[in-house]
Amino acid sequence: MPLPTALIDCQAASFGYGGKRILADLDLQVSAGDVIGIVGGNGMGKTTLFRGLLGLIKPMDGTVERSGASIGYVPQREELDSVYPLTVREIVLMGASGSVRGGRACWRAPSKQDEARALECLQFVDLANEHGALFASLSGGQRQRCLLARALMPNPDLLMLDEPTAGVDRAASAEILERISRLHKERGIAVLMVAHQLDFVRELAKEVIVVNEGGIERGPVGTMLSDPFIQQLFGSGSRVESSGPSREGDSPWTN
Amino acid sequence: MDELTLVQAFEFFGFAICATLIAGLVCPLVGTFLLVRRTGFYGVALPQFAATGVAFGFAILPWWQTHVGLGVDVESATAGDHVGLNYHLFWASVFTFGSLGVLLLGRGKGTETARVAAGFAIASGLTILFAHASPVGDIYVHELLRGEILAIGLHEFETLAVVLVLVLGALVIAHRDLVLVSYDRESAIVLGKPVVAWEMLLQLITGATIATGVMTVGPVLLFGLLVLPPLAARSLARSMTGFLVCSGILGVGSAGIGLCASFAYDLPLGPAVVLGGAILVLLVKPVCWLRG
Repeated sequence: MPLPTALIDCQAASFGYGGKRILADLDLQVSAGDVIGIVGGNGMGKTTLFRGLLGLIKPMDGTVERSGASIGYVPQREELDSVYPLTVREIVLMGASGSVRGGRACWRAPSKQDEARALECLQFVDLANEHGALFASLSGGQRQRCLLARALMPNPDLLMLDEPTAGVDRAASAEILERISRLHKERGIAVLMVAHQLDFVRELAKEVIVVNEGGIERGPVGTMLSDPFIQQLFGSGSRVESSGPSREGDSPWTN
Repeated sequence: MDELTLVQAFEFFGFAICATLIAGLVCPLVGTFLLVRRTGFYGVALPQFAATGVAFGFAILPWWQTHVGLGVDVESATAGDHVGLNYHLFWASVFTFGSLGVLLLGRGKGTETARVAAGFAIASGLTILFAHASPVGDIYVHELLRGEILAIGLHEFETLAVVLVLVLGALVIAHRDLVLVSYDRESAIVLGKPVVAWEMLLQLITGATIATGVMTVGPVLLFGLLVLPPLAARSLARSMTGFLVCSGILGVGSAGIGLCASFAYDLPLGPAVVLGGAILVLLVKPVCWLRG
């Protein structure tokens, strides 16, 4: 079995905004085959960490190196403005933009390969019939699947998702997670996601990164989510205790 | 006017007709980006800033003539040749890009709408004061800024045509990336797009269109074409590409209605084109209701 390759290598990195450090001295590697959930209380720095790893904010100290691996990014759909009359097809084809760097000029219409790839990605998320529909007219779960299809366009090695099930009902969330799970199992895509719903993290992730008080702690999903601190952080009514596998080793990816 | 045949009208007002149609095609495309970026009110404020720049240029004309020169004097500034036009264009551009830069730097801080409104009010006041201080008289400056497009000359038409054709080319070439950067900046960064360069191109396109438009077709027609056709097209559009195409078509439609109304009823052309745009906005509403 080949040694895991670091897709993102974060060494002694600090992240923050406006000169204020929110997370300091982080050492973190995301490797091929990883499925990691990022959890933590509100305002603790989950999004800051995620944005730092994505390259959206520069580290104040230390380094964040990406191996040149292709990254598929799924933003929070609430951040996308519905005033744009974009169709599902147009949204998904946006993801092809990155695959033509140094190649096809930007003024050319999407190639047949791009169109075929977009259709393939839409079929994967079961939205091929909606390719001409307006993105703004889709349900929350459909929009999230559309953004997932866009993230798949550059054939990513790593999928980074920012709260992929936020504001989506349980049935739609389960559909989204089933797709992410298949992507990992069938195509070996590494997954890094910020999540609020711990039961989904438990179902999907092999490891968890807990962000708290300016630092992070990483460990196997079962151990981390059983931690009394996490239980306290997410409250006694948390879905951590409610359902799903409860021990490390029960994750569908652990042999 | 109503004795004029179409051929005679084109003979006399060929530049005005062509300028109106080109502006009708290109300005709404720029306005489309202003609308989706939720900066539609820039379409009203920026032409006013450009007008202030032109009035400022007139106010400092004696100083410029003495200390800078470059062939600019009162005669060339009022003759409508390239020297005078470039001088006005320079000041319109300085004020447009300057105010655009200030507004963009302040985005996300405080109330943007109030800031733009305050800027508009100040610019309107300054335009009158600068025109009053002008050596050519405030009536001349206000006439110029009102933009009687029928009086457009060869040099003005050439300048407008060159700038708007370049803007159209840039939009055709880069519209996909401009939409991506405007819609989802973070994803554009992750995809490796030169986001800052595309955003600067968009501001350059906006500024150049407005600065040139104020100097040639006038602020009234510019306001109308930047705002009304995209507003009508937004209701009809079923895709982003369709939105852009529809804005351009409705812009040319507004220009056509305005030209016909102007020649038929002897109306000033700029306001007639704006009225044409308003009619299209009203006509689109029942179409949308019928489509559900």
